[in-house]
Amino acid sequence: MSDAILIIGAGIAGINCALNAAKYGAKVYLVDDTASIGGMMARLDKTFPTNDCSICIEAPQMYEVDNQENIEILTGTQIKKVKAQNGVFQVRLVKKPKYVDEAKCTGCGACVEACPVSVPDEMDGKIGGKRKLIHMAFPQALPNVVAVDPACRSGEMRSAGACIGGCAVDCSQCRECPIALCVSACEKEGKKAIILWQSARKINLEVKSIVVATGIAEAPPAGDLLGYDVYDNVITGMQFERLMNAGGPTAGEIVRPSDGRHAKRIAWVQCAGRGLAQGKGVPYCSKICCMIATKQVIITKEHDASVETTVFYNDLKAYGKNFWAFYQKAKENGVRYVRGRPYQVEEDAETKNLTLRYENLDTGRIETREVELLVLSTGIVPSPGNPKLARVLKIELDPFGYFKEKDPLKAPLETSVPGIYLCGGATGPIDIAESVVQACAAGMKAVLRSEAP
Amino acid sequence: MNVPEVVAYARKLEHVVLADEGRWSCSVDYLSRLQDLIQEHAVNRVVIASCTPRTHEPLFKKTVKQAGLNPYLLEFVSIREQVSWVHMKEPGAATQKAKDLVRMGVAKAVLLEEGREIRLPVKQDCLIIGGGPAGLSAALSVAQQGFRAIVLEKGERLGGMLNRLARIRHDGHEAPAARLRDSLVDRVLETPGIRVLTGAEVETLEGYIGNYTVGLKEKDGAVGQRLHVSTLVVATGMQEMPPVGAFRYGEDPRVLTQLELERRLAAREAGEFFPDTGGESAASLPRLEETVKNVVFVQCVGSKNDKRGCCAIGCHVAVKNALALKALNPEIQIHILYRDLSMVKGEGAMLEAAKRLGIRFSRFPDENYPEVLEKPDGTLVVETTDLLIGERLELPADLLVLAVAFQGDATVEHLKGLLKVSASPDRFFQESHVKLAPLEFPADGIALAGCAKAPMMLKESLEAGTGAAMRVSIPMKRGYIEAEGIVADIDLSDCNQCGLCHKRCPYSAISVDSDKNPRVIKALCKGCGLCAADCPKECITIVHFTDDQVLAQVDAALLESPEKKIIGFVCHWCALGGVDMAGVSRLQYPVHARLVRVMCSARVSMKMMLRPFEKGAAGVLVAGCEFPTCHYISGNYAAESRIRRMKKKLARAGYDPDRLVGIWCSAADGPKFAKTMREMVKQFHLDQGDA
Repeated sequence: MSDAILIIGAGIAGINCALNAAKYGAKVYLVDDTASIGGMMARLDKTFPTNDCSICIEAPQMYEVDNQENIEILTGTQIKKVKAQNGVFQVRLVKKPKYVDEAKCTGCGACVEACPVSVPDEMDGKIGGKRKLIHMAFPQALPNVVAVDPACRSGEMRSAGACIGGCAVDCSQCRECPIALCVSACEKEGKKAIILWQSARKINLEVKSIVVATGIAEAPPAGDLLGYDVYDNVITGMQFERLMNAGGPTAGEIVRPSDGRHAKRIAWVQCAGRGLAQGKGVPYCSKICCMIATKQVIITKEHDASVETTVFYNDLKAYGKNFWAFYQKAKENGVRYVRGRPYQVEEDAETKNLTLRYENLDTGRIETREVELLVLSTGIVPSPGNPKLARVLKIELDPFGYFKEKDPLKAPLETSVPGIYLCGGATGPIDIAESVVQACAAGMKAVLRSEAP
Repeated sequence: MNVPEVVAYARKLEHVVLADEGRWSCSVDYLSRLQDLIQEHAVNRVVIASCTPRTHEPLFKKTVKQAGLNPYLLEFVSIREQVSWVHMKEPGAATQKAKDLVRMGVAKAVLLEEGREIRLPVKQDCLIIGGGPAGLSAALSVAQQGFRAIVLEKGERLGGMLNRLARIRHDGHEAPAARLRDSLVDRVLETPGIRVLTGAEVETLEGYIGNYTVGLKEKDGAVGQRLHVSTLVVATGMQEMPPVGAFRYGEDPRVLTQLELERRLAAREAGEFFPDTGGESAASLPRLEETVKNVVFVQCVGSKNDKRGCCAIGCHVAVKNALALKALNPEIQIHILYRDLSMVKGEGAMLEAAKRLGIRFSRFPDENYPEVLEKPDGTLVVETTDLLIGERLELPADLLVLAVAFQGDATVEHLKGLLKVSASPDRFFQESHVKLAPLEFPADGIALAGCAKAPMMLKESLEAGTGAAMRVSIPMKRGYIEAEGIVADIDLSDCNQCGLCHKRCPYSAISVDSDKNPRVIKALCKGCGLCAADCPKECITIVHFTDDQVLAQVDAALLESPEKKIIGFVCHWCALGGVDMAGVSRLQYPVHARLVRVMCSARVSMKMMLRPFEKGAAGVLVAGCEFPTCHYISGNYAAESRIRRMKKKLARAGYDPDRLVGIWCSAADGPKFAKTMREMVKQFHLDQGDA
């Protein structure tokens, strides 16, 4: 009988859970539905409250996962069916095609250079991030292989100048492609790693325990929230994070989407959209956003001390060890914290600057402030795949869409199904350190079950 | 670059018996060819010139090992990230640089010695210091594997903070603390393999993972038993900091801390006695709900100031206890005075329930705390400014409850010395890495759990306890810990017993014997090289990064036109990550640098910094992790201070100190590395003429 462990989600929680369980001696399947392991943390620039560079501390752990013999990484993979039987779980997974032979691709990037079409990057779109139709998730992606956008293969991108798709013959019918530039670039390098006719692969596993580590997402701003959809220079906190990241689309230059100029006056709005009608904003405090914004203002000031920074907030959430000192540091660096929530934003058509109107809660007065870039801290929501996964695993979600613990006071991280455990953002908004603690704990619970007769 | 030319050049180098070109050398096909070649030509050193060791060294090490060669006889040269991707417009100079890098690799490879992983046996026994929820949950997880767990509790009973609380809540779940304590303690007592020792604390502690000897002290001061264990979990908990002298606390019996209120609520629920009020039973004490009409809570007492931050749990506790008072008597008026109300996710429901029940909340200014006055008629009044309505409030209080700050246990002062770890002024232990090692200390085999690190909720303490058990169980399950072969080695013949290495090792991996002779506990050594670079007698070497090997690379780099070259010492983790990122991003920068990889910038000794100048190099770069990150805790700080000292030395020796440059670079910051290269080349006027 199998004593393997299935970990769903390969962000910092899943990675740590996998490393702990594997070093303990367990066989681990680490599954993620995106093209690379790394999760949210791989996208971040810095991490509070120490401002450690995010990828600097995460990448060594990613490589460690890759080099652990008893961890099998399955990216682009979804859980389709889970059946509990005689104390084990029979799991059916489907690995979506990347249209690339992962064993042959060396990540050389020749195909990416050859691809004629750039499209806005899903995450960095509003700040000018672009990617090709064949692309690598991020430079340190693991596995370090490219993936072909399915939209390209289906022909949807022909009008944008894509070289393939829309043939009389469907890609899945061919075994070679004389027209795809990526395929010929790959062949020219002597590899033949791109397989446009690749199909999804079914995988069946038998495991003793399952750890859900599906993580968190930034709440998408409702279109009209403080001008987000209307004005170029209104962006989300995560987009700002990408903007200040040396590995991001602007190579770390904090510039405005409207004109590419360095922003000299920037404001952050905390709790943006919070408490608005259903579907328009997050209904609860997401805990980590105050410190994310504080980190961002400190880094902004490090980039250029002359930038004027203002944070609009209601209740400051400086909940962790040394978080208050971190906030004090921001204030010492000249960051203005103003208690109040802006309710109106107007753009100057010429300068593209934004004027905020807000009630200053300390003085009770209505005030205005003009900024060049506006950052919305929209809060944290559960991973969008949670409802489906909950159905497949037959475990419950809480009213906000995070996974529910059966008894958090006696047996935290355990669900109503014995053998299924939770860690990280699957349980709620959470920071990196807390995710790692839970990852170690969930790993312990999983191996204890796998050890049990 | 012209790869065949580089291969042909490599073939002609002394000691090289074979140079081969592989198109995709990390592909399965080529790796098997590589194994064949190693065996066929009976080579005893291998140099791979390809991408970057950060991602691919483990793969080639494995391949070399499979071919029957010791994996430490491999040297990795990065000619993709450091040459072909970053000098795309200068193929001639790029090819020359690649040749230099290969020559440097061969120079080091010739001096490589066999290495081996080092193991230290670890048995299956763990001492858990502290019998609260964190310690007990750690003990349960340890013992459930069949390992031996000893729980040491300095008090008389297990359960820690759960002995002092009324009810616990989390996201709609609620239970009396006493019941949670009993269920936890019962499980501990029923689990075979757990031994409980109460009324004693740690007096002495010696050793390291796999080999700890702990001497106990009984409550009466008598010498207790000695324990031999392999691992430790520190779960010493926390306590309130009594706000003596503030808000009439300690002067007026109507002023309590939240924990004192909670004890009364708990006793009220259980009908227990109050030992600290002369043995009165809860039943004989005035019943809270009958004597109390107006209650005021003041939050953030002693918190969020210059000394310490947010207490992390006070808002939750206040709302919870306000609800408990309302449950006793809905007529009680409760007013909570706060600075920032922090109620996360599901706690929002608690807050709404409190508001529905008429519990009032007023924000007071950060710099203007409420004042407590006693009226002539003996009534207690709290005066405060309500920021939201902008008015001064005068609130009568039959009971004033303070949410005070917390501090670690008093035993921390003694323990931190024994464990050679640090703690904050408030006696909270400092974890090894704030983000990625939150449950441990730098030394292997000691985990940290619960409120000993920082204030946290019961759920988080239980998680931390279980997680800490995982951290110490890995070596206990494996039966050993293993260090990579890159470790320090001390030759005692020149040692003057100065003790610097012992004092400065971030991992307590160097012990000293009774004659003050240092000894490396190799399994604990992480190979950063700080000790070797600092040793005044140069008697410490780092396997795989010896002085000779590093200097051979420097000399090989400067064999031709040294005046056009910059020698860069880059740390493996972040600085080389930045170099790689510059490569991946195809950032173009001048070709003058010849990089020497070290594991940590702390490895770069003054001798290493000096050698390039002696050989006529244009400049020297030392690149380490961006502050405050360091893979070896604080090696980059050591390197920075050494560079400062070296600059003075250079000036005295007649060299231009500005030609020694230190940069601290994150693994994402390719642009910073490329910019530094451009700046150095400009500053040293290397851009005039070819490299």
